[in-house]
Amino acid sequence: MTDVHRTVDAVWKLESAKIIAGLTRMVHDVGLAEELAQDALVSALEQWPAAGVPDNPGAWLMTVAKRRAVDHIRRSERARQQHERLAHELQQDQDPEDDTGRDDVLRLMFLSCHPVLPTPARVALTLHLLGGLTAAEIARAFLAGEPMIVRRIAEAKRTLAQRQVPFELPGEAEQAERLSSVLEVIYLIFNEGYSATSGDDLMRPGLCLEALRLGRLLAELAPHEAEVHGLVALMEIQASRSAARTGPSGEPVQLHEQNRGRWDQLLIRRGFTAMLRARQAGGAPGPYVLQAAIAVCHAQAPTAEDTDWKQIATLYHALSRLQPTPIVQLNRAVAVGMADGPQAGLELADTLTADPALQDYHLLPSVRGDLLLRLGRHQEARLEFQRAASLTRNAAERAFLLRRAEDIADTGPPLPTLGPAIEDFLGRDDLDAQTLRSYGQTLRRLRLSLGDRTPLPSVTAEQVTRVVTTAWGQAAAKTWNRHLSTLRSFGTWAGLDDLTAGLERRAEPRRPPAQAIGPAQLEALFGRTDLSLRERTLWRLLHESAAPVKAVLSLNVEDLDLDDRRARAGGTWVTWRSQTARLLPDLVAGRTRGPLFLSDRRPAPSRTPAPADLCPQTGRRRLSYERAEYLFKQATKTLDPAGNGYTLRQLKSQQ
Amino acid sequence: MRYLMTNKAAETAPAPDERLHAEMGKFIEELTAAGVLLATGGLEPGGIRVASHGDEITVTDGPYAEAKEAVAGFALIEVRSQEEMLELARRFRKIVGDGECEIHQVFGP
Repeated sequence: MTDVHRTVDAVWKLESAKIIAGLTRMVHDVGLAEELAQDALVSALEQWPAAGVPDNPGAWLMTVAKRRAVDHIRRSERARQQHERLAHELQQDQDPEDDTGRDDVLRLMFLSCHPVLPTPARVALTLHLLGGLTAAEIARAFLAGEPMIVRRIAEAKRTLAQRQVPFELPGEAEQAERLSSVLEVIYLIFNEGYSATSGDDLMRPGLCLEALRLGRLLAELAPHEAEVHGLVALMEIQASRSAARTGPSGEPVQLHEQNRGRWDQLLIRRGFTAMLRARQAGGAPGPYVLQAAIAVCHAQAPTAEDTDWKQIATLYHALSRLQPTPIVQLNRAVAVGMADGPQAGLELADTLTADPALQDYHLLPSVRGDLLLRLGRHQEARLEFQRAASLTRNAAERAFLLRRAEDIADTGPPLPTLGPAIEDFLGRDDLDAQTLRSYGQTLRRLRLSLGDRTPLPSVTAEQVTRVVTTAWGQAAAKTWNRHLSTLRSFGTWAGLDDLTAGLERRAEPRRPPAQAIGPAQLEALFGRTDLSLRERTLWRLLHESAAPVKAVLSLNVEDLDLDDRRARAGGTWVTWRSQTARLLPDLVAGRTRGPLFLSDRRPAPSRTPAPADLCPQTGRRRLSYERAEYLFKQATKTLDPAGNGYTLRQLKSQQ
Repeated sequence: MRYLMTNKAAETAPAPDERLHAEMGKFIEELTAAGVLLATGGLEPGGIRVASHGDEITVTDGPYAEAKEAVAGFALIEVRSQEEMLELARRFRKIVGDGECEIHQVFGP
């Protein structure tokens, strides 16, 4: 980049929001406005290197862009209707003291945070339009791919155009909701920078700075909104701890252990000032004002010991009423743990262990670990820290949590632990791939929720009940039962017989009876001449007997009573009529015992089936349900008007 | 990035008048609104100098430099890049007239 390029880029970043906002008011389409502004930028890149950077580069860009907007409007069909307004607006431009510019930027902010857009799109569009960041810069900040961000921004602009979202300040009715969407987007950006959810660095300061700028800007544009000042105060004070919250090798330093001398007093004071403005704006404190008030409490304490935890616990209590989220509850548990002692905090934290939203949230075991440690329950604390480490996606945080776990001496006797036990259980060689996948899913949850190093004998039925209920309480009965079976199987293997004592199987709703195949299709099916004897017999038998497919496939030659046209299958009788009776002798073909329906091929040596599923004469195995189903589906694709093919169950005659 | 910008006025700079006050006021307001200006202030011309030499501390009252060397004001600015800082400095100089700014990046607290 040449110097002029860099200057143009800097000017763009400082001015683009204003320019795009002004143009959007003229052309009523933010996508078009951005294109026009980009055109002006191209002109600048062409002219500035020769003519020099103008005295007021922002105004220069705005003038050029507006001229292009006027050209565009003149060309467009709606020229006549718009001329009048245009004349009025150009007149306004003569008066630089006018507040329209500021209001335009505020309108742009409401537009880019509009609820018709999904949240990630709001974030990207806001950084792009208000922060002047390119898609590449946004992608870097979020560790995302540039094409994805480009697409996200383009889609957002298209959505705004299609839904004809007006470029207006929200009316009174929707004011609160729209404002809270803007605040949410800004705080999301801040948090992504402040506590990066993934990656190796704990913070991405660039995003914090963007969010702070957006917040400070909003505070000037909407000075009467207490929550805006609350958010700014919250961000300023949180940002004041940036330098203190990571150690020399990037590891997190907890609030109470931070060197308060490294807190940025300038930002703290700015936070206090914002807080005063929030109080002046009046009204009942909202969630951001309350969170800021908590941040103020911390900032006011000269040392960690001086923290007014009673006050903080009270504020969290108020906050939890406005925002009854598990995260707020967890923070409240920390505050209560400090104000009223670790036992009180732990009791509150323990109410959250059954919350599905927190089952993979590393801070829950981390907080519990802290409280347990203070209660002298060292072994439990160590396990909680280890579990927290296994749950976080942030490398610096994981290392920190593991160190906390290691700092607690392991005084317990060496006991078999959960993680290796599960690995051994899954490592057996008698499990097929599907079972392994299913078992793996259930037991991975158990490992994540209880921790790999939990001593096996200490795993209780209560813990398992909690894990299963939290993870799959809302799941379908079939899923629930599958997980239960896995846990029972593991419990038996591990010698923990009552592992699932607190859990009961659920009744699985019967599947709705499949629509039987129509008579015309059946006739076509059985009229075909290319069917093998096995298929023809199986399908006839299924149709005439209306017996369960499993029962029919389980039939053995020795069970057949050909004279009476019936066979014993499990506890019931399978009966058939003339068509099947005609085919069966040929299929039996002199066999005296073994599975009635056989597969085409002999099993591979490594997959020897149970003796009951092998034909003693041919060495073939019993036809499997899957294979039979597959063949039927293939064979009936042409019959099915939907083209999917039928299932064997649909062969049952309607009775 | 944070920058400290200090301003030294040249002797040829016009005495501050109403126009300058108005333009500066607007500039400061704009930068504050944009979330860029963290702190700013003017400095008294005299000042006090505290010097140390070995164990010896010497305190002298100002003015201790030529007028053109005297720092008249400062601004603490938070921007994304040096280019943004330079752009703002350029605008500032256009308003205040002859003189010079010194810009240093600020590290840590």
